[in-house]
Amino acid sequence: MAEEFNPEEVKKACESYVKKKGALAFGLANVETLERIAPPGCGPLSMLPKTKSVLCVGVGGGTRGSWAADAKTLAYIGDTETMAYRIAYGLAFYIEAKFGYRSIFVPPDMNPEKGARVPMQSLKLHAEVAGIGARSMAGDILLHPEFGMMYYASVFTEMELPPDEPMADNPCPHPSCVTLYEQSGQTPCMRFCPVECLSGSIGEDGKVEEMNFDAHACAEMSQQYEAIPSVLLDTLDAKDPIERGMALHGPENQVIWYKLSIGAGELLSLCYECMRVCPITQTAPMANPVARGAGMRQKVVEAEAAARVEHEAEQNGVKGG
Amino acid sequence: MAYGVTQQMIDTYGETVFKLSLNKQTRRGDAVRLLDFEAIEAARAETGLTDEEIAERIGLLPEQVSVVRVFTERKHHKIDQHRRIFHLGGGKRWKKEEYSNPVERLHIRKEAMMIREALNFNPELAQRYIEKGYWINETLNGYLLEHAINTPDATAIIHPGGDLTYKEFKTQVDQLTIGLMELGLGKSDIVAVQLPNILDFIVSYFAITAFGGVMQTIHMPYRDADIEFLLGHSKARAVICLPAFKEFPTADVMLGMKEKLGSLEHVITIGNNASEGAVALESLKIEGEPNIGNPPVGSDPFLLLYTSGTTSNPKGVPLTYQNMIGNARLSVPEFHMTASDRNISAAPFSHLYGLYNFHVALCAGATNILLPAFSPPDLARTIEETKATTVFLGPPHAASMINAGLMEAHDFSSVRFSMFSGSACPPQLLETYRSNIPGTKIGQLWGMTETAGATYCRDDGAEDIPLRSAGPAAPGNEVRIVSGEDGAPLPAGTEGDLQVRGSSVFPGYLDNPEANADAFTEDGWFKSGDLAIIDDDGNLTLTGRTKDVISRGGVKFNPADIEDLIIQHPKVEQAAMVPMPDPVLGEKACCFVTLLGEEKVTLDELCSLLDDKKISKNKWPERLEIIDEMPLTPTRKVIKRRLIEKL
Repeated sequence: MAEEFNPEEVKKACESYVKKKGALAFGLANVETLERIAPPGCGPLSMLPKTKSVLCVGVGGGTRGSWAADAKTLAYIGDTETMAYRIAYGLAFYIEAKFGYRSIFVPPDMNPEKGARVPMQSLKLHAEVAGIGARSMAGDILLHPEFGMMYYASVFTEMELPPDEPMADNPCPHPSCVTLYEQSGQTPCMRFCPVECLSGSIGEDGKVEEMNFDAHACAEMSQQYEAIPSVLLDTLDAKDPIERGMALHGPENQVIWYKLSIGAGELLSLCYECMRVCPITQTAPMANPVARGAGMRQKVVEAEAAARVEHEAEQNGVKGG
Repeated sequence: MAYGVTQQMIDTYGETVFKLSLNKQTRRGDAVRLLDFEAIEAARAETGLTDEEIAERIGLLPEQVSVVRVFTERKHHKIDQHRRIFHLGGGKRWKKEEYSNPVERLHIRKEAMMIREALNFNPELAQRYIEKGYWINETLNGYLLEHAINTPDATAIIHPGGDLTYKEFKTQVDQLTIGLMELGLGKSDIVAVQLPNILDFIVSYFAITAFGGVMQTIHMPYRDADIEFLLGHSKARAVICLPAFKEFPTADVMLGMKEKLGSLEHVITIGNNASEGAVALESLKIEGEPNIGNPPVGSDPFLLLYTSGTTSNPKGVPLTYQNMIGNARLSVPEFHMTASDRNISAAPFSHLYGLYNFHVALCAGATNILLPAFSPPDLARTIEETKATTVFLGPPHAASMINAGLMEAHDFSSVRFSMFSGSACPPQLLETYRSNIPGTKIGQLWGMTETAGATYCRDDGAEDIPLRSAGPAAPGNEVRIVSGEDGAPLPAGTEGDLQVRGSSVFPGYLDNPEANADAFTEDGWFKSGDLAIIDDDGNLTLTGRTKDVISRGGVKFNPADIEDLIIQHPKVEQAAMVPMPDPVLGEKACCFVTLLGEEKVTLDELCSLLDDKKISKNKWPERLEIIDEMPLTPTRKVIKRRLIEKL
């Protein structure tokens, strides 16, 4: 007789799975609610028509060290969002393998046909409705009272599980931000935004009254993909050859090409002719995978130990003599 | 355009689409978290719409909205905002007032780019100068800052108004820098200066160059026509001058230039008061430290000097720090200049020579003594009073002091070294000068506006070398003599065309392609236009000007020797020979003279003199013109072009 399907137990099993994989938060969003809020064609059903549940995971943002680093270093280190996708990817397989329901994992992406920065699926909306984040004054970045800023990913499944509720309270604005706002008319996120893309007001109840986010200004600075077509158009427009060259080869814009070339495949640092002719690389006993597979490592370790013993004996003999 | 979209549609609907899209987002309250669907719907009426929703709202096709939106986003997009990321984090917080976009901060006006575009160095030579250390990253104000920090109380300037320490000097420069920047002047803007060797000149010079500007000098004797040409050619944005000089209403003339020339924006006169339309220099001295967004670097142009124009209109010579300050730095050990030296220049700062020796002293951290205007008594008195140790002067300065008996009358014993340049140096004059200062060293320097200090004597050679030559090439420079016929290098001891190449040589004339085409050989040698001889030890002796050469029936001769003989005639004060056209011989020589007295001289008398001196007949003048005044440059070179015009 088949094991009885217990949605609460299954939900716990899924939560346990993602937390073992490193997720900090887990919740389920109500599919109907999502369909009602998302713009037409942007809800879960547009992607997996028989979606019954939307499972959301949240992973931690940067380490304390990365927050202490300068922004350039932070950009170099990269964020932890890929960890969220990996976990969601695993969860989708886990559900299919364990429970037999079709599932897809939902990474972030843009829907270019829908408009400016319209996502394929709003992971933010999923997480908010699933109760693992609430919109902040900082351009609606989700915040969690326990985990702060997280990166999110979702899984759509045809398995029906009980949804969660949105968070009862919004941690934003923090009391200290309210105090600063009362003193200066600005919260810290407004005040220190390098492109002044945030504004708004806090009501007498200490809650966000209005939040304005100039997403275009934010993206101008932080989203290089926005710059690429502009760089190319500026290059075409530039009349001065130096200006034209700098539009493409300027050190800042070279980052764009660098990132693109990484995405373009194996054309980066993969010559390795230097290593092909390097005697160390070519003769090191464990460099050869065949040698590694044949248990050579153990033999080398034993041979080295024997040589050491012999050498020490020789040394002792000299001393003794 | 796609989908029937027109530019007019983009203009009409662009901003509306931009605002309705996710480019601009507004949230009131916390509607999503509270599942307040009514509020969510209301919010979606304002912003955050997809193209389809916008299309529905404003009556376009979704595809048309996409086109309109993309072009409007493009209009708004600034591609260099990401630079701000480099100024964030790591304990720093965003401070708008501390950030400036490098594209804006380092912007140089299109007009100001003209002088930068004139810097056309030979790349191979430039690489060599950098590798050898002739060119480094040094600037005028870099030296000032260094001395103001390391030896703040050392005397930088001695001038008739008193002494100025390096720290005090830096303060004055900072103040004027702020004022000039507040006028809107910036990197590579040209600021002309027509001032004598006074403190205001030097403070202006440093202030102009502190913010990356370029100082153009105008010689004090220049009047309306010269000034108009120079300011018009350089497109200077500002001029700093006296309110008036002797009978010349300088400020009024400059204000007239401002009206006449579109490029001249500011007339700045020294002192506290200025006539209407002008700015008082003192009013531009503002307390504080200048915030210079685009500071000068070693490769920048900082000086624009003009040739004296003996053969054509004056030519603009842009010089970089690496040219000029490098030349001075490399001269310091050659002259054994140290911080304890007190240096005086008899030459005007409007001229390369005056600035050159000021720079040498600056690089050494020495004291510069200012002589506002040369007069024999003033120079002699100042040397004595200030105990000057190094003197840079020209033969006429020395001759006038000697003739007036001033060298015996004043104490010159502090002078350890004197350098002569500027015109032909008669050995007897130098010998007399040297004999008046026991133990002193003397030398000759040869340079041009285009070359800075190209060659000069060192003090380790034979005693007679400084009497007859301008020494070997300066560090970083090379000199050679070539045939005027085919440009082939000539052996030592042979007279020919002098060419110079090196780290101090200018990069080409400003906006003068014709002159540039003729100025350099393909391998970077500058054709000086001088005739010279270089001896076996590399010592250079000038013999005349190539352009003065007269070709009589194809037989060329340098008239300098003939002129020297003619001025020995008791009736002649000055003499200059120029070619005059001849239908048979091509050219013949015409001699212009000024007279010492009332008694006139004849052509026969001059020819008789030359005959007595055994000068071949083909070099004799065949026409004589007696004139009242010889046309001279401020550096007392005969402007032969003007004489030819008289023929």
